[in-house]
Amino acid sequence: MKNYDKLINDLVPRKFGKIGVIWTSLLIVIIIIGFVAYIDQIRKGQVVTNMRDYALWGIYISNFVFFVATSFVGSITVAILRLTKNTWRTPLVRIAEIISVAAIIMAGITIMIDMARPDRILNLFIHARLQSPITWDVIIIPTYIVISLLLLYFPLLPDLAILKKHFKEKSPKLSRIYGFLSLNWSGSKAQKILQEKSIKIIAIMIIPVGILLQTIDAWLFSTTYRIGWDSTNFAPYFISGAFVAGVGALITVIYIVRRIKKLENYITDFHFDKLGKLLVLACLIYLYFNINEYLIPAFTAKKGEAVHLDTLFTGHYATLFWLVTIGGLVIPIVVLLFKKGRKPLPMFFIGLIVVIGSWWKRYVIVTPTLLHPFLPIQGVPESWRHYFPSLHEWLITVATLAMALLIITLLVRYLPIIPIQRTADEQELLKTDKHSES
Amino acid sequence: MKDRKKLYILSFVLLCVFLITSGFNDVYGQAKKNKVRLKADYVKIMDGEIYLDIKATSKIEKQNVKVSNIEVTIYNEFNDEEIELGTITTNMKGENKYVIKDLSDIKADSTNIYNIVLSFKGNDSFKKASKSISFKDAEIKANLITKDSLNYITATLIDKSNDSVIVGESLDVQVQRLFRSLKIGEEFNNTDESGTIIVPIEEGIPGVDGNLTIEVVLNDHDEFGTVKAFVNAPVGIPIVDESTFDQRTMWSPRNKTPMFLLIFTNILIFGIWGVIIYLIRNLFKLAKS
Repeated sequence: MKNYDKLINDLVPRKFGKIGVIWTSLLIVIIIIGFVAYIDQIRKGQVVTNMRDYALWGIYISNFVFFVATSFVGSITVAILRLTKNTWRTPLVRIAEIISVAAIIMAGITIMIDMARPDRILNLFIHARLQSPITWDVIIIPTYIVISLLLLYFPLLPDLAILKKHFKEKSPKLSRIYGFLSLNWSGSKAQKILQEKSIKIIAIMIIPVGILLQTIDAWLFSTTYRIGWDSTNFAPYFISGAFVAGVGALITVIYIVRRIKKLENYITDFHFDKLGKLLVLACLIYLYFNINEYLIPAFTAKKGEAVHLDTLFTGHYATLFWLVTIGGLVIPIVVLLFKKGRKPLPMFFIGLIVVIGSWWKRYVIVTPTLLHPFLPIQGVPESWRHYFPSLHEWLITVATLAMALLIITLLVRYLPIIPIQRTADEQELLKTDKHSES
Repeated sequence: MKDRKKLYILSFVLLCVFLITSGFNDVYGQAKKNKVRLKADYVKIMDGEIYLDIKATSKIEKQNVKVSNIEVTIYNEFNDEEIELGTITTNMKGENKYVIKDLSDIKADSTNIYNIVLSFKGNDSFKKASKSISFKDAEIKANLITKDSLNYITATLIDKSNDSVIVGESLDVQVQRLFRSLKIGEEFNNTDESGTIIVPIEEGIPGVDGNLTIEVVLNDHDEFGTVKAFVNAPVGIPIVDESTFDQRTMWSPRNKTPMFLLIFTNILIFGIWGVIIYLIRNLFKLAKS
């Protein structure tokens, strides 16, 4: 049983070290500052933001789209890799599930922040029309939250039972909580069959639901007749973008967790190499859709489109646009095509710039379009024709990002981020140990 | 001696108080009253209402302001005598209408001119004001005629004071539309020696069930005021109602959601949530096993 015990010792959650405490405290401080700004926004109204008649969707919506996109990682990494029986996914899936849960919960919260008065959420139900993509969004987000939670929870059951046993003497209180959450898991054949069946159903279901989520998110834009959004390609464009954002986030978090928790033996260069290939595939698909989205309007050059594209290619948003496209998409493709580029450290930086690029990409999708309506609004102050988020918007948005990171941090703290039972089963440790003992 | 000194001080204090407070006259004194400008237009609708269209405005700080909520009394001036007809109160737009139930209730002078005086008594904000208007009774007799398959509107303008036709006056002929009437015919349709005009109705004007309401108007005449006659002419092109108001469309309210959307979305929602409930049930089963 030595190997098995070592495995458990390696993978059980541990208390925060000094860095963990500082990191968590920092996140809490950022969240508190954001919360104060949010209270002030509720008190004074959305006048504290820089959203006006032109940019009526600002940073909150681009942040919401980013969260929705990132949550797609659950569908991709867990479900697709599972259904295609890629065994290398094992040490990565739980982190992907955790990111997915954190991102989709924050997407729901961010959309409430954008509504200004939280009581307006009720209006979404009272005045719901099935014809409206907003209503579809209201339905799909809670659905995806529940499915993501189930996807995280079902595979956790055997590990929770292990943790219950492990902490029985060290921390009885924690052991009781793990015991309660493990749902009396004993590892019986009946339980395993039911668990496997349930996981398979979720893995199958989360793919169409994830695609639906990204599609609805895209249709929120493409069903509003606007320059830059009026595209039949928008749904696959968003799905491929979500693929990039999700895998980018996964690589970044995995690198940090691996380093902090010293899991180099479990998450190896091999896994990074595989993830690098997955990311380069995602980036190539997304690049293809980007070319589609910008080249055809530039080629046909309808007046409105031409003005919009000018601001992106050479105008006010050119720096941001090219940084996002080249930095967040082209450079990662080039680097990741080389084996050396798929080593952990370069991958971490690539993952980070992909995530940052993905966040700004949503900003580039949302804001410039709103500033170029087909019918310009008459008699408004000149300042309304420009948009840059106000201090309130920044503080609240950064707080939502911090909140997502806090959810990830807390789940990483209290859950085994590499599935213990599954790893043990895969390594057939128990079997080997039994042989050696006999 | 001491009392005298106190008296001086008291007088001095009172003087100061008086001088200081006199500086606040604008605040505590009565505010300056503004002038009210009354305007009245006499309008006669043939086979309909006869009324005075009354408006009250005031120039306050170089801007024309509509004066609301003031009471205006209407008098009939006859033989240097003013007979009260009634009162109106201006609305938020500074307007109101005084309906003359029957013109025979008002007395005209020897030249058959009706003299009306509007009077505002004044209030805390506005000075008193009055306005007199005079008008003679006129009539428009309008008809739809068809000649050689072409439709025309003919109208005769008559001075009712002596039952004579009025020659050389311009009448507007227009079709009632939703926002503003559509003028038809020449720019000026002057009455001929028989006091009549004849205006062709263009083909192809749309109307509900093909009905057009055509107005013949003597507009704001110095002597006769405004006189309008309406003719119903079933010579338009019937409007085909293309409204999707009662249909199930993507832009209709939620009780008119398209069936395909209702069915498809509900299958998706109940299908997915059915599986979710099944999975949650599995959790309970796991806990019990």
